Amino acid sequence: MSAQKKRNFKIEAFKHRVEVDPKYSEKTWKILEHAIHEIYNQNASGLSFEELYRNAYNMVLHKYGEKLYSGLVTTMTWHLKEMSKSVEAAQGGFFLEELNRKWGDHNKALQMIRDILMYMDRTFVTTTHKVPVHELGLNLWRDNIVHTSKIQTRLISTLLDLIQQERTGEVINRGLMRSITKMLVDLGSSVYQEDFEKPFLDVSARFYSVESQQFIECYDCGDYLKKAERRLNEEMERVSHYLDPKTESKLTQVVEKEMIANHMQRLVHMENSGLVSMLIDDKYEDLARMYNLFRRVPEGLSTIRDVMTSHLRETGKQLVSDPERLKDPVDFVQRLLDEKDKHDKIINTAFNNDKTFQNALNSSFEYFINLNNRSPEFISLYVDDKLRKGLKGVSEEDVEIILDKVMMLFRYLQEKDVFEKYYKQHLAKRLLSGKTVSDDAERSLIVKLKTECGYQFTSKLEGMFTDMKTSQDTMQGFYASQSADIAEGPTLVVQVLTTGSWPTQPITTCNLPTEILGVCEKFKSYYLGTHTGRRLSWQTNMGTADLKATFGKNQKHELNVSTYQMCILMLFNSTERLSCKEIEQATEIPASDLKRCLQSLACVKGKNVLCKDPMSKDIAEDDVFFVNDKFSSKLVKVKIGTVVAQKESEPEKHETRQRVEEDRKPQIEAAIVRIMKSRRVLDHNNIVAEVTKQLQARFLPNPVVIKKRIESLIEREFLERDKADRKLYRYLA
Amino acid sequence: MKKEETVKLISAEGFEFVVSKEAAMVSQTIRNMLTSPGGFAEAQHGEVTFPEITAPILEKICQYFYWSLQFASGKETEFHIEPELTLELMMAANYLHT
Repeated sequence: MSAQKKRNFKIEAFKHRVEVDPKYSEKTWKILEHAIHEIYNQNASGLSFEELYRNAYNMVLHKYGEKLYSGLVTTMTWHLKEMSKSVEAAQGGFFLEELNRKWGDHNKALQMIRDILMYMDRTFVTTTHKVPVHELGLNLWRDNIVHTSKIQTRLISTLLDLIQQERTGEVINRGLMRSITKMLVDLGSSVYQEDFEKPFLDVSARFYSVESQQFIECYDCGDYLKKAERRLNEEMERVSHYLDPKTESKLTQVVEKEMIANHMQRLVHMENSGLVSMLIDDKYEDLARMYNLFRRVPEGLSTIRDVMTSHLRETGKQLVSDPERLKDPVDFVQRLLDEKDKHDKIINTAFNNDKTFQNALNSSFEYFINLNNRSPEFISLYVDDKLRKGLKGVSEEDVEIILDKVMMLFRYLQEKDVFEKYYKQHLAKRLLSGKTVSDDAERSLIVKLKTECGYQFTSKLEGMFTDMKTSQDTMQGFYASQSADIAEGPTLVVQVLTTGSWPTQPITTCNLPTEILGVCEKFKSYYLGTHTGRRLSWQTNMGTADLKATFGKNQKHELNVSTYQMCILMLFNSTERLSCKEIEQATEIPASDLKRCLQSLACVKGKNVLCKDPMSKDIAEDDVFFVNDKFSSKLVKVKIGTVVAQKESEPEKHETRQRVEEDRKPQIEAAIVRIMKSRRVLDHNNIVAEVTKQLQARFLPNPVVIKKRIESLIEREFLERDKADRKLYRYLA
Repeated sequence: MKKEETVKLISAEGFEFVVSKEAAMVSQTIRNMLTSPGGFAEAQHGEVTFPEITAPILEKICQYFYWSLQFASGKETEFHIEPELTLELMMAANYLHT
């Protein structure tokens, strides 16, 4: 028994049907019209719904629907015109209230009318495609009230005035505002948009254009951003309180454009308070605010990023090129790390850990670290310093953190092979002098290097560790094999180093004291006896010795000195006074090393076991040395300054560089051959590109050098030029 | 059942049928009568007079209301209609928007 089906039947009138009397429709309509008046007068309680419904039902049934509909329009319009008059008459602040009240009345009446005319809505309206009663009521309200000339402009200006008042800090009736905007929305989104939203957005734009101009003149960047943020929040709150939710994005867009986008450049570059000074002063809150505000506007973040990048590059460039800084490599690297930490923290706390910002940071570091070609050396020196003494008493996790940071700097390096070269040198010194604080830390760093650059990169470094281990075993074997009388003489500790794994040093064997020489010979014959076919040579420029010395007042001290220094001091067992020249002849220590040794023996206060005549800082050939009988020290063990790994001097640096260049040649050639073997034919530019790509992990090859290597390979008939196209190279198997 | 939960339906002859509001509101028309704002007489007194519906038809309608509620809650039974009532019943249904 659904209504749906019934509608298709021809319905006969009820059995006590009303005679079709010409006045019938007139009479029925009068009843309904009266009811509508009563409803509008809020006097409906006496009316019978059933009666009204039945009358409307019968009117439609008897084909008077048109009359009913047009009658409704006329009656409703009349009432709305009455309402309009009363709204117009309302004074000042009561205008909105009156409008709101009438709107409420109309809505209620409209719903009642719709209910009693439901049958008309259901049948007549759908078949004749008229506007349904409820919508009709809204349209009539719109045309007769909201869009009348006297009300329309007054309404919009009242609304805008109120919002303006609220923006300047006054309290307004938000409930009323919400009702009115809700009314505009109910009348159709086009009414809301055209009548209110558009002018509202225009006014907002003007307001914020003026305000932002004032702000920017009298506030600094941080304060301006605070104000802008507050305004933005206020507007969003406004929308949530009494505007249509769809307005929010449009409104914030207006505010963003006026407050932020239009002043972005000026804000970022504001002197003493702009982005750069925020970065310098670690103003996390301000930076976070800037990030969050700027991300709302197009190009906002890229503006921040660009300024940050150029600032980083600028400061980084100063850092790496400041000659003062270059004096202390450890401090230099520490500064780099601090700088990195600082900006990491900024990006982490203020910039939402934005990936693009991290990339910008990384590329900036990569840029300026490689500006200074000593960076690889300095980073290695920093590690050296840390592993020598810096890590004492530091927990394992902290060591890992420091090493990870170093690895991060390492990643930025373009010339990783240079780093490797220095690292090897420094590691060798650490291992040989036994200065390494933590073996675990050393190995951990090597593992890190291995994961970063592959097996090749660290194989030699690992070889060094193996040598150290086997040397210990060898020494145990040596002493076990010797008769007891050897214990009487000096104890010898030898470290056997595989040539190739260790940074090679030009061998300048000095004359060892006879006491030592004897043990050395014994060891040599022992070693060569167990390992046939090997060659053993002494690296007297390395190593240390512990000497027992007795001074004037029977003071006994244990002196920890280098091998060279030992050779010098042993001479004084037999002779009172020796000149520099005599020492040189007796020991055959290279002159430059000798001078350094003598300086550390005679010229360092508190450690001057030798006296020099004449007393002066510099060592001349004719200077005479003798044992300082008055030497005294609070310590029993005295460590005579050994030459620690320090920054290389200019010529040394030059030399290392040349060695690196030499080492690169075979690598480049190998890369070329690898590429050509798989490609067979390739043109010059592509070879250069591929080679660069392959070797990137270790260093950036110079195209000129690559060209030279290609030429050399052609000479050696690995490659040939194509006969037709001279730019092409062919691989000769 | 409390008085507020029921409604009295009165036929043309004056027969009164007291049904629950829930059942009566199966008819969209009755629903509007009882819920429309502004307080029409029917909503105030809880009774509706139908001068154009006879008692037998109104009775059948009331039966239908309850049947419909059961049907909606999943109890699918037949609703029997005597052939002689069909026409009037259909007209009443159109009127009541049922």
